[in-house]
Amino acid sequence: MAEGLVLASFLEAAVRLGVPLALAGLGETLSERAGVINIGLEGSIIAGALGGALGALATGSAAAGVVYGAAAGLLVAAVFALFVVVLNTDQIITGTAVTLGGLGFTAVVYQARFGVTGTALTLPTLEAWALPGLVDLPWIGPAFFGQAPTAYFAYLLAPLLWWFLFRTEWGLEVRAAGEDPDAAAAAGVRVRTLRFVTTIVAGALAGVAGAHLALAHTGTFSEGMSAGKGFIAIAVVVLGRWNPLGVLLAALLFGAASALQFALQTLGLDIGYQLFLAFPYVLTLAALAGWVGRARAPAALALPWPRGEH
Amino acid sequence: MLSTSRARRALRTIGMVTTVALFTACGGDVGEDGASGDAGGEAEASFRVALLTSGPVSDAGWYAGAYEGLLAIRDSLGAEVSHQQTRTPAEFDEAFLAYGSEGYDLVFAHGSEYQDAAMRAGPRFPEMSIVVSGGGQVGANVVPLIFTLWEGSYLAGMVAGGMTESGIIGMVGGVATPPAQGTFRAFEAGALAVRPDATVLEVFIGSWDDVAAAKEAAVAQIERGADVVIHNTDGASFGVFQAVREATEGGAQTWAIGMNRDQNDIAPEVTLGSAVIEIPYAFLQVARAWQAGSLGGQPVYEGFREGVVDFVPNPARIDRIPAELLDRVRAAGDSIRAGTLEVPGIDYVEGEAG
Repeated sequence: MAEGLVLASFLEAAVRLGVPLALAGLGETLSERAGVINIGLEGSIIAGALGGALGALATGSAAAGVVYGAAAGLLVAAVFALFVVVLNTDQIITGTAVTLGGLGFTAVVYQARFGVTGTALTLPTLEAWALPGLVDLPWIGPAFFGQAPTAYFAYLLAPLLWWFLFRTEWGLEVRAAGEDPDAAAAAGVRVRTLRFVTTIVAGALAGVAGAHLALAHTGTFSEGMSAGKGFIAIAVVVLGRWNPLGVLLAALLFGAASALQFALQTLGLDIGYQLFLAFPYVLTLAALAGWVGRARAPAALALPWPRGEH
Repeated sequence: MLSTSRARRALRTIGMVTTVALFTACGGDVGEDGASGDAGGEAEASFRVALLTSGPVSDAGWYAGAYEGLLAIRDSLGAEVSHQQTRTPAEFDEAFLAYGSEGYDLVFAHGSEYQDAAMRAGPRFPEMSIVVSGGGQVGANVVPLIFTLWEGSYLAGMVAGGMTESGIIGMVGGVATPPAQGTFRAFEAGALAVRPDATVLEVFIGSWDDVAAAKEAAVAQIERGADVVIHNTDGASFGVFQAVREATEGGAQTWAIGMNRDQNDIAPEVTLGSAVIEIPYAFLQVARAWQAGSLGGQPVYEGFREGVVDFVPNPARIDRIPAELLDRVRAAGDSIRAGTLEVPGIDYVEGEAG
């Protein structure tokens, strides 16, 4: 087979695997900028996958399924936000409970609906849209511009979110809530409202990521199919240095790393493919340690607020 | 303000406890509700059987078969049954402890991952028998239950070798455990027996449940030219079937082969057949052996000869498989049964050949 074809299909796989990470990671960027780290992202993703599947089956439309998926992810994040923002609970512990709860709850719903021993669902799928002109670009055309609509949503979301965070007053308020909530509150920023809203928006995006998995990528649902993507998305945010554009790139890098292991194994090169999977995590650690430019988490990240009540 | 703060803290604590409890309740003991068979008498000592799985029983495969086996024991033998899904090794020990102290008679631990915990629990609860699916160690009351799936996998390989046009065959595995690798070695041997020049590609995705990864692995193999793809995963297998279906819809006839359980109806239009383990039947046999007092001290092999392992062609597509190929597969099956065909397997149990 021509090497060009191998490269093209590798790039396509990299983008397909990177898109859900990008969607969930961009949402997480928004909430982390406001000071909330949501370890429960995995719960929103799996809820989004099941919500998307059920919605698509009920309406017969994959696009409507994505809306249901977003709503399911939002609901799960709203539970998390209720505890973390309103009741000021520990973000890490609550997030862990929400992830476990999301996985357990989706299992119960799925088994109640489709039988205890499972059914291989065939869902209405989001067809890929080939963007005229762009899809004909050599190498990157089909990989980037022959994808499902959710991929284009991720491409557009990254610059939009960047503009929102760094060029608008609301964005400034979000960042202030994440850096110094006391000072922000003194300046009239409604810190709790902002944190609540950004967290549930992030949940909705994670829900879209889950719906993408079920409706655009695999066309089916199975228990636990989120397979740790919520946690990888949190690493993606770190590697992307809390900058939406960086997060999009980092998500594609993680996608490329897992696509690479399949490509290498298929080529019969059995040279420790786990190393390639570990590569983005090594980069993430390097970013945290400050070796890949300056990467600093929002100063008030994961801290309950107001503090006096903790 | 102290009182409001205290009230809020109390509320918060209650909230946390409730959520965790609620979520744990949702996550655990899925099968508990279907547990007690109403046939079992309360007064007399009933037969109590438990199942442990480390994955969801809704995988339409390996774990689903075990759950059906548990229900078969309930329905046929009137046993009182219970199922728990345990994810981590620490939970394995806890589960054995729970069933042991509740006086369960027989526990099916459905996967080699339970081996160590079973060997620890065995001496502690001498009255309880523990059966470890794919286990590798024998204890006084710890019995490995070995499905010789490689025999069915070999026959599946023969079908793949006969059906491939490109001469390239793909295998998508979950985690590279000895049982998974064993089925792939046999599959490869079967394929090469029919088509000596075939190339067999192998990818392990590092997860049993990641549907997206399984699909990408299958897509990578199909783009490399594979036109028959087999899997050995759990829920992730849906991704393999999906990749094969999409490739076929895209105009390149591609075939899938199911594994562990009869998966011919997942994607009936593109599935050649399944290498199956009749797990419910095997579980029932083991439970009967326990009742007869003949279980223990040595591993139990359940395979082709016992009618537990087989290759089941997909009835919806059997017309696409040439008759002479099916005859050849049937003849090979007879040879396995007669003991004249040695299928490459793997050594499971310490000190025994596979």
